[in-house]
Amino acid sequence: MQQPMQEAKSPESINANTLFASIRMLLLLHLACGLGLALAFLVAVDFRSLTLIQNPAQTLFTVWAADALIVIPVFSQFRLDPDKCSYVKAIVRGLMGLPAGALVNALGAIVLGAPVGIQHFKKTVHWSLLMSVFTFVPAASVFGSSWTDWHRIFAHSKFSLVQMFRPMRPIDFIICLPAHGAIIGAWFGAWPMPLDWERPWQEWPICVTYGAILGYLIGVIASFGFVVYYNRQHHAKRD
Amino acid sequence: MGNDYSLTCKNLTLFTVSSVVIQIIGLYLFIVGFFPVKPSLSGMSGFESFYPPADNSIHLDNNISTWPPEKLKSLYQELSGVPPLYDRLIFMVIDGLPAEFLLGKDGKPPPKVFMEAMPYTQSLLASGLAIGYHAKAAPPTVTMPRLKAMVSGAIGGFLDVASNFNTQAFLEDNLIAQFHRIGWKMMMLGDETWLKLFPNMFDKHDGVSSFFVKDTIEVDYNVSRHLTNELCHTDNDLLILHYLGLDHVGHIGGRNSALMSPKLMEMDRVIERIHSTLVQEMKQRGTLLVVVSDHGMTDGGNHGGSSYEETDSVALFISAEKISDAENIKEAYQVDIASTLALLFGVPIPKNNVGTVMTDVFSSFRAEQQLRILELNSWQLLRLLQTHFTEFECARFSCESGSGKNDGAERFCCSYLAANELHESWKSKNSLRSTNRDDYLSIVMAYHDFLGIASKWLSSRSTDKPFVQLALGIAAMLLSCLVLMSLLFLLVRGNNFQGSENVSSSDDKTHKWHLEEFFIVAVMCILVLSMASSSMVEEEQYIWHFMTSSFYLILLRKTIHSTTSGSALTLTSGKKVRKIHSICCIIAVLVCRRVLRGWHQGGVNWSYLPDISKLLEQAGTVSIKSLHLLSLVLVVITFSAVLLAMRLRIELVLFLLLIYFIPVLIVLEQILKYQDGTFTSSSIQSTTMIQIFYALIGTITVGILLSLPWLIPIRDPKTSKDITTRASSDALQESQCELRSIRDVIFVIGWCYSFSWSLLQLLLQQPINSMPTYLLLSQVLATLYYFSDGGIHLKHWTKVAALYYLGMAGHFGLGNTNTLATIDVAGAFIGMSSHSTVISGILMFIITYASPMLALLSTLMDVSMVDARTLANSQYVDFGHLLKETLGYPCLVPLGLNSVVLLAYTIVLLVMRNHLFVWSVFSPKYLYVCGTTACVYIGVSFMALTVTYACIVRYYRHRL
Repeated sequence: MQQPMQEAKSPESINANTLFASIRMLLLLHLACGLGLALAFLVAVDFRSLTLIQNPAQTLFTVWAADALIVIPVFSQFRLDPDKCSYVKAIVRGLMGLPAGALVNALGAIVLGAPVGIQHFKKTVHWSLLMSVFTFVPAASVFGSSWTDWHRIFAHSKFSLVQMFRPMRPIDFIICLPAHGAIIGAWFGAWPMPLDWERPWQEWPICVTYGAILGYLIGVIASFGFVVYYNRQHHAKRD
Repeated sequence: MGNDYSLTCKNLTLFTVSSVVIQIIGLYLFIVGFFPVKPSLSGMSGFESFYPPADNSIHLDNNISTWPPEKLKSLYQELSGVPPLYDRLIFMVIDGLPAEFLLGKDGKPPPKVFMEAMPYTQSLLASGLAIGYHAKAAPPTVTMPRLKAMVSGAIGGFLDVASNFNTQAFLEDNLIAQFHRIGWKMMMLGDETWLKLFPNMFDKHDGVSSFFVKDTIEVDYNVSRHLTNELCHTDNDLLILHYLGLDHVGHIGGRNSALMSPKLMEMDRVIERIHSTLVQEMKQRGTLLVVVSDHGMTDGGNHGGSSYEETDSVALFISAEKISDAENIKEAYQVDIASTLALLFGVPIPKNNVGTVMTDVFSSFRAEQQLRILELNSWQLLRLLQTHFTEFECARFSCESGSGKNDGAERFCCSYLAANELHESWKSKNSLRSTNRDDYLSIVMAYHDFLGIASKWLSSRSTDKPFVQLALGIAAMLLSCLVLMSLLFLLVRGNNFQGSENVSSSDDKTHKWHLEEFFIVAVMCILVLSMASSSMVEEEQYIWHFMTSSFYLILLRKTIHSTTSGSALTLTSGKKVRKIHSICCIIAVLVCRRVLRGWHQGGVNWSYLPDISKLLEQAGTVSIKSLHLLSLVLVVITFSAVLLAMRLRIELVLFLLLIYFIPVLIVLEQILKYQDGTFTSSSIQSTTMIQIFYALIGTITVGILLSLPWLIPIRDPKTSKDITTRASSDALQESQCELRSIRDVIFVIGWCYSFSWSLLQLLLQQPINSMPTYLLLSQVLATLYYFSDGGIHLKHWTKVAALYYLGMAGHFGLGNTNTLATIDVAGAFIGMSSHSTVISGILMFIITYASPMLALLSTLMDVSMVDARTLANSQYVDFGHLLKETLGYPCLVPLGLNSVVLLAYTIVLLVMRNHLFVWSVFSPKYLYVCGTTACVYIGVSFMALTVTYACIVRYYRHRL
């Protein structure tokens, strides 16, 4: 029997004031996420003169490394339990989340049909590390190994907005929506692969990466909107 | 109770059956309309073609193949009464040349560019040395069917392709075979399609592949380089030149490509060269040059459809002497070429020819010879007409001029008889030297009248699409699809209503749609949408794998969610273990799916990429054999384990395992015997063994189905006790007990079906597919185990749909594609001592639809695990209710999903009827869709019959 979702561990435990003080910070964080990705591409294209189509593996490596350098420190600022957990520890958590998330993403991709040959190995590794930066690393930095939080973020099975929002905090949106966006985007990004258009970008993992980045950006924008909306509602409630 | 919503079992059955019947009728109408089956005559025409068709008095020595070619040739000439003007044929095919380039359109001369590009050919036409025809081609305007039409004069239906997919060789009567029979030396240069169509017919050949469309130079150079040599060699009687370059130019740049003029000039030079040789050799032998194109092209250079630009192909007859004096641009049909050439060279007209002879080519013949030619053509068409009508006795009809001519047989007969009568009287007059020109012309008119209507009727039988019929077919399919879907909808709603009343727990989740339910619907939508794209049809295996795996990932997420949600802490450890089991099950399914995906690359565009089956084939027979053995062992172990896990009476388990002992042994023996690629089909002993296997498997399955419901409760009494004690009242307990025993019976029958099916597959499938067979089985069983765990709410219809999808995805895992080439023809002859089309067809069906059928048959095992709540709670377990609950979804979901696919694909096929790939991609796929439909019908009816039978027997026993 499935039990209704537990809602006990909701935001009350967090001090409301610190929460709202950090709203502006969260928006900055968003900016950092978007800019980080853009910067990563800039580094790849301008400084190392790499493109995704010609050298997918190196480009992906540059992108995820540059993005991780921004995402891990920024998200570690917003660790959930700043009293118990130092900043350095949060960074280490994020770093540890990187390979773990990569493993999960890679397995998921392979199960869905990603090629497994040796010639694809590097591409798959770097792609899954990038996906990990999008999905796992922020959550790892913020939540650590708190299972209930992870569960709340990643295991919604309802298409009900009400239920989706009740237990959410702003930081949850910022982690949850881009992560889901990246995964769903990657899923849709795989669609053109079997078509016989003979375009170079149909190769694994190029269009999947494009899809993931697009989905991620949409997720970032959407979560931005939600945070603003949430903020306004709570202000209204207070008044 | 929600009687407003809920259907009674009787209504449900009635509606389902009638909608299936409507669907079958619609499908039949559509197939007959879209793929017309024309009766075609087998064998080759011989001497009988020189005698009137009604004349049965002449008994001919039909064993022509024993005749020496030279003698046959002279006899043909003697009988035909038409002396051949030529004794050598140069047949030049310029692929894709529209007649407009040479002959202009609507009486206007061709564009100046093209006139200037082909000066020599134009001069030939102007001087009457050549005679040109707009030879209208029938769709599909692609090379192979058009070549067939030119040499046989017949327009093939698509189903002809399906009926002889094991060979590409052209088996119908045709000119090449006729020429071969009279001992011609034949030579072919150019497109290798000819070599595929006519293997072993050509004495010399140099084929080029038409695959590299980008190449416009080499393909033609490769033909022309032999010309000098071959033109001088007068020992060949037929020289076929097939130039592909022009078609390639069209594909690259369209009609107005810059490469077009140079290419036409090149062709003109080739014609000039051949013609000058013709003139030089005029004294030694008469050679006829025939320049034809197989089809035209659109402005963009494509072809395949039925527009004027594509069907406007050309036929030029070029001779060293003047062959035409009148206006020399004519209209004809492409199929006319065959009969014209046959009569020009004195061979019988091919049997299935529907074309009429091009009379202008024969203008230098004497009057009676020309009439004879028309007569021979009429006799041949009359013979062909006879096959279309059951009663075709021309003597029956009284063809008075007053009686209105009906359609059909009478019309043809009267027309023919009129011409024949005139001709006969002319003949008698002719011997008296008292004929005049007017008589002659009236006979020609009469013959043309008959030939015209007969040819038109015969050829329209195979190309015209009767739109009313197609629309009716689609309407019927739409109706049945709507009925099935609304039944499904009502059933879901009825169940929800009941659920919320009966189930005391207040959770309102049953009404909400979960992610996986959305996804099931989404899979259908995506599949239907993807079908409109030819490359998605070619690569359908990716879609199925991607969607099915995504579905299981969603299930995995859901299961992990329910395991780890806070409530999990309150669960007992036993339940937790079960949760972990179900997670393992999903992971097992996912892994199996991925391995199956990697087993055969499949598809069309990337089929060359490495995959497991190719690796194994490289590794050699030993590894394949050991895998085959391993899969047999695994199958047996898995099935035994399933049976043991059911906690049935131990005697029954032993009995079931024992009766399967001999079939397993036979399969084992066959695997060990197997050598080098083929079963040793020659050995009578192994054939007998396999036949015994078929008989045993059949007997066991039917026997268990019939006998098992009569047995006493089959569950081990010790284990059943603790389950039933929970029921409070005696009546409830009794009904629960009854229910449980029915479900056990159904489970064991389902087990038996699946086991028999798997063993059959291990014997029939190619050895390389043995492991995939086991993987299919294990993923189905893992899914069933996962479903049997009531821990998470999966609606029943989701489960059935998931099994159906699993079956469809597995279909491609066994190496099937949407082309007809991957059907395993060799396997269809395993264990057959004599040729039988029906049994081979059944075996081929069993091999091809192994996976969907396995999924459907094992749905029976799932049926027995139906959520007990809805059944057990109702104390009034009446028969109809029980059947509806158990059978409703398992029957309706596959039928409904399949009807959606069938309808969508039928519409796609109709919309795409002029698409370039309609015959190469969409039509083969349609045959597969029809096959799947048949598979669903069979599987569902098996399921329904089994459950109904079991319930009837149980009910009957209960009442006793």
